[in-house]
Amino acid sequence: MDKKTVTTISYLSRLKIDDEKEEKIINDLGNIIEFVDQLNDVDTSEIAPLANPLEKTAKTRKDIVTAKNLKKELLDVAPSANEDYFLVPRVVE
Amino acid sequence: MTIKYKSIKEIKNMISNKEISNKEVIQEVFSLINEFQDLNAFITLNEENSIKKAEELDNNPSDLPLAGIPIAQKDLFCTKGLRTTCGSNILNNFIPPYSATVIENLENAGCISVGKTNMDEFAMGSSNETSFFGNVKNPWGKNLVPGGSSGGAASAVAAGLVPAATGTDTGGSIRQPASLCGITGIKPTYGRVSRWGMIAFASSLDQAGPMARTAEDCAFMLNEMCSHDEKDTTSLDNEIPDFQENLNSSLKGRKIGIVKDLDLSSLNDDVVEIYQNSLKEFESMGAELVDISLPHLSLSVPAYYVVAPAECSSNLSRFDGVKFGMRSEDAKDLEELYVKTRSEGFGDEVKRRILIGSYVLSAGYYDAYYKKAQQVRRLIKNDFENVFKNIDVIMTPTTRGPAFKIGSKGDDPIQMYLEDLFTISANLAGLPAMSLPNGNIENKPIGLQIIGNFLDENTILNFAHMFQNETNWHMYTPEGIIQ
Repeated sequence: MDKKTVTTISYLSRLKIDDEKEEKIINDLGNIIEFVDQLNDVDTSEIAPLANPLEKTAKTRKDIVTAKNLKKELLDVAPSANEDYFLVPRVVE
Repeated sequence: MTIKYKSIKEIKNMISNKEISNKEVIQEVFSLINEFQDLNAFITLNEENSIKKAEELDNNPSDLPLAGIPIAQKDLFCTKGLRTTCGSNILNNFIPPYSATVIENLENAGCISVGKTNMDEFAMGSSNETSFFGNVKNPWGKNLVPGGSSGGAASAVAAGLVPAATGTDTGGSIRQPASLCGITGIKPTYGRVSRWGMIAFASSLDQAGPMARTAEDCAFMLNEMCSHDEKDTTSLDNEIPDFQENLNSSLKGRKIGIVKDLDLSSLNDDVVEIYQNSLKEFESMGAELVDISLPHLSLSVPAYYVVAPAECSSNLSRFDGVKFGMRSEDAKDLEELYVKTRSEGFGDEVKRRILIGSYVLSAGYYDAYYKKAQQVRRLIKNDFENVFKNIDVIMTPTTRGPAFKIGSKGDDPIQMYLEDLFTISANLAGLPAMSLPNGNIENKPIGLQIIGNFLDENTILNFAHMFQNETNWHMYTPEGIIQ
């Protein structure tokens, strides 16, 4: 774990790391990765990954509309919206 | 007549015998919450609506199972019209337009949601020290942590402010605070309780459950919390039993698995002695102890700290300042809006976990970390499947020791992660698991963990209830034992 890696993953995470915290974060992340490296102590070459304890395919349901249209309620909780849309800073010049 | 330290069952009886009105119950809850404000157990109170609902119940008495029972809801469940923060600055102002299925189920059963409890930010923590809204204090000692992440819930129940609370458990977040606060809490089988409307942390691990004074009350709450929910694709459609039906079954000849791979030498001596005394208690009720081996158990914490951050980094990508929650004030363009909102909105531990998640999921590291952890997860699940062919439950201490001092784990994240050493494996395997008080160390409570087989909450609740029939550890409060 080094400065370059932390810069890359903080970009991927859309997080800015404050300069004064950067050293500690590099150190913490390095320690955590070292800690989870214990996983290499066991041979898993023949083992299928387990993503979910139920191992069931997500169920499908009948194609019937059940959700109510909450447009107004959802726009009401947005930080910025007009009657129809969420508003964000201009993206097209 | 007071409701302080009363169980759900006792408050129900007091109301139906007209010893107390619904309104008096709720008024006393708010007066207790006020008296114990310094615990910082609640983030948002729901006083006006709660009193109104109680008055309606006094005018029109109801025979619903939880009619008039005050319940504290963890601030991770969306509650329609009531602020829901998940302990985070980024949701500081969020008022959900809908309620979680769990909340709907409990309120349809008549309960009164008195407020939203404090918690570690996005449920990431084991001491309630990561909450944006400040530490929660443990009622057993104001300098002690209550555990986490459901720390506010545990503190409120332990202080006797409410008879029960909802919690969620991704790696131990119901059981560890239950242990440190001397109350009883159960994480059901993954899929038993709908996750719809729960703010997601790690979706393949998260599960909601009740926290209360007794196993009997937990069973009672669970009856109302569980449902098959089409809105959660991982919600189980298996038959839901009456969780109270075999609380009193005999334990004669029942088998308790004792994990021989567990290194107890790293534990406080008192913890080991208390654990062994509890096992003797079960033996005296006719249960048998069987040595079992879970060879991959020691890898559960490292596997968890790959799987949970990976899922968290994906789940928390929705917090971008566009649709809900806070938005940074001074962003010039969309990219800056995302980055500034997230950087100002999330606390350090949440950021750390998002970064780890992004790392283990990124190109070149995915197989080495994420896939590897999922493979180890299967080995852990297989270990449990093997041993449950021959035993009814597994017992371990819930925590390595009693509540620790606020700030004492320093800022080394791994020391904090090891708090969940005994609890994490049940989440990885999706199994139900409970913590109940089984002793005190220097007037600080500690818990016993009972892990059950898939869908077998009833056997756990049976063992726990029989233990509570024979012992009085669940009767201890910070003010002494309940007579």
